[in-house]
Amino acid sequence: MQRKSGPSKVTKMAVSLSAIMLVSACASGDGEATASGEATAPAAGAACTVKVGVAGSQTGGLAYIDVPNLEGFELWAEQVNAAGGVDGKFTIETVVKDTRSDAAQSATVAAELVAEEISILITPGDADPSIAAGQLAQDAGIAAVSWFGSSPILPLAVGDHMFSNAFGDNTQAKVLADHATEKGYKNAYTLGSPDSAYTNLLPGYFKEAFEANGGKVVGEGTFSMGQASFSVIVDEIKALSPAPDVIMTPAYEPDFPTFIKALRGAGITAAVLGTDGIDSPTTLALADIAEGVTYTTAGVLKNEGAMSTFFTDYNGKYGKDPETIYAVTGYELGLTLDAVVKQAQSCDADAIWQAWSNLEGAQGITGAISYKGGDRMAIREVALVEIKNSERSLVGTFSPDPATVPKAQL
Amino acid sequence: MDALISYLVNVISLGGTYALLALGLAVIFSVLGLINFAHGELMTLTGYVLLAGILTGQPFWLAVFVAVIAGGISAALMEFAAFRPVRNASGATLLMTSFAVSMLLQVLFQNGISPRGQAVPVPTWLTTSLSIGNSQISKVQIMSITVGVLALLALKFFFDRSYWGWAIRAAADDFEIVGLMGVKASRLISFAFLLSGLLAGVAGVLWVIQRGSVDPLMGFKPVLAAFIVAVIGGLGSLTGAVAGGFILSAIEIALQTWLPPNVMPYRDAITYTIVVIILSIFPNGIFGKRTQEKV
Repeated sequence: MQRKSGPSKVTKMAVSLSAIMLVSACASGDGEATASGEATAPAAGAACTVKVGVAGSQTGGLAYIDVPNLEGFELWAEQVNAAGGVDGKFTIETVVKDTRSDAAQSATVAAELVAEEISILITPGDADPSIAAGQLAQDAGIAAVSWFGSSPILPLAVGDHMFSNAFGDNTQAKVLADHATEKGYKNAYTLGSPDSAYTNLLPGYFKEAFEANGGKVVGEGTFSMGQASFSVIVDEIKALSPAPDVIMTPAYEPDFPTFIKALRGAGITAAVLGTDGIDSPTTLALADIAEGVTYTTAGVLKNEGAMSTFFTDYNGKYGKDPETIYAVTGYELGLTLDAVVKQAQSCDADAIWQAWSNLEGAQGITGAISYKGGDRMAIREVALVEIKNSERSLVGTFSPDPATVPKAQL
Repeated sequence: MDALISYLVNVISLGGTYALLALGLAVIFSVLGLINFAHGELMTLTGYVLLAGILTGQPFWLAVFVAVIAGGISAALMEFAAFRPVRNASGATLLMTSFAVSMLLQVLFQNGISPRGQAVPVPTWLTTSLSIGNSQISKVQIMSITVGVLALLALKFFFDRSYWGWAIRAAADDFEIVGLMGVKASRLISFAFLLSGLLAGVAGVLWVIQRGSVDPLMGFKPVLAAFIVAVIGGLGSLTGAVAGGFILSAIEIALQTWLPPNVMPYRDAITYTIVVIILSIFPNGIFGKRTQEKV
């Protein structure tokens, strides 16, 4: 069979497409075009647009955390832009792409966003997809910030450009362990799952901190996320001797409701400690079953005090009240970016990364947020909340001494 | 002894739900040669209808009844809207259609209701437990076992005594012969979807009551388990679907009960390894038909 010597249709199309892309790329550059065709960033302090790439989970298992975070962030961006931008000159442009709660899709989406010359990348609220997305930002020299991925291995796994808007799981585990000790609990049972860094590592951090306080972990169970029944685990807890007086688990919905229903249904009355994943109306709606459950979170979601303005603004934009604290943390990520851009006086990715690394005392709704001198997890207070009469009740806010917090290791 | 009672209770309660789900898949496979991966979303839909019934103040039994019926009707509508237009297409097309319907429903639930799970408040009498000997068994498990067993007995009666039951059983053996015997294919397929939806409805109600919440992705894990159950039992075999449900349940609960803690994270891997071993002994499933291809 003879082959034609000229370019095939496919080759012609590819060349045409490349030419179009090249022209588009030149035309869409934010910086000024020089005579040689190279783009230059605006001078420091000059007005420009901070392009925020959001690789978040609009669908899938992480949507429950990423969707409210994005809503909070977009509320902040809208307010800032209405006021002329950060410092009246740095406007915010948000480019949102769905990662579908999938690590591979997170990497694909992050690559697309990095190619769009973003100033900063926001990644999903969980370590595994954030690692996939963050590595691309790291290679491109762009700062990446997770919505609220709290596993402290996240920045360790990616590198110095990876941050999280959340406190570390080791920190919240320390707060829970101290609370258990203060309550006089001696024997604990932990229930984790190997299915995610969050559910896998938190019980270990708790054990380390609780046993350092003099307590003892008398049993360690594991579950598969989404498993049908917790009856066997409950039987195992019933058979423990000595019986645990406190049970700690990072399980979140839909597993947490299933577990605690089975636990209380079997007549086990031991105290239950949870983590930020259960801070949702689903837990509150469990009524008597969840009474007394105590958990760590970023703050108490209540329409009062510092949060009332946020409730009003959120309701004005979305026609509903925020359901979880993640809407607040999304807004706070915006406030953090506000402080960073004011510091950087630039839309340049490198300047923003440096300012983020050295940020101290950005004022959020739930308290101050810093990164300087830390492990790139947000240095912020941990709120301890107890469910009383199906409502959130603040036990206290805590900032454990970093020297006493279990160390994160890859 | 107590451990054995607990083990049996756990196996029967989970196995009954698996069997109902797998039967729903097997009924469709019998008439269409399709594993309907949107079956899980019928469970999810049932959960949301149950929640709506409870939140609007309906009596619990009525909310359950309406939810199960909604599962059946939705399945029939699914067949009419999505599968009927591609009925004569290849198996791959049918499979892709079922994935598309599954994804579409998940996204509709997420965007139309909430990406977050919703708590389903069940009556307080269901949240306590009963003592049998030294063992305590939750009332949810007792209800799960009772409903599961009753549903399976009702199905046996239906398959043994009713015209449509015979037709579906015959279709499981040879769909073309059933057509030659005068049974209209369209009506048989519609009826199979209706029955499959009702089974998904019953399983969905049991699942939601046991878990206490419903979320957009709730159906994925159970339908995966049901698929494995159907394969163990023999695809298209109704008896096999029931047997497979209890076999998978027995394996899962045994591993969860007796595996050493340091091996526990490998539980799912071990479960599927055992499934592969079973299939290597029974390549067509335990109750599957032997197929011979003419050369």
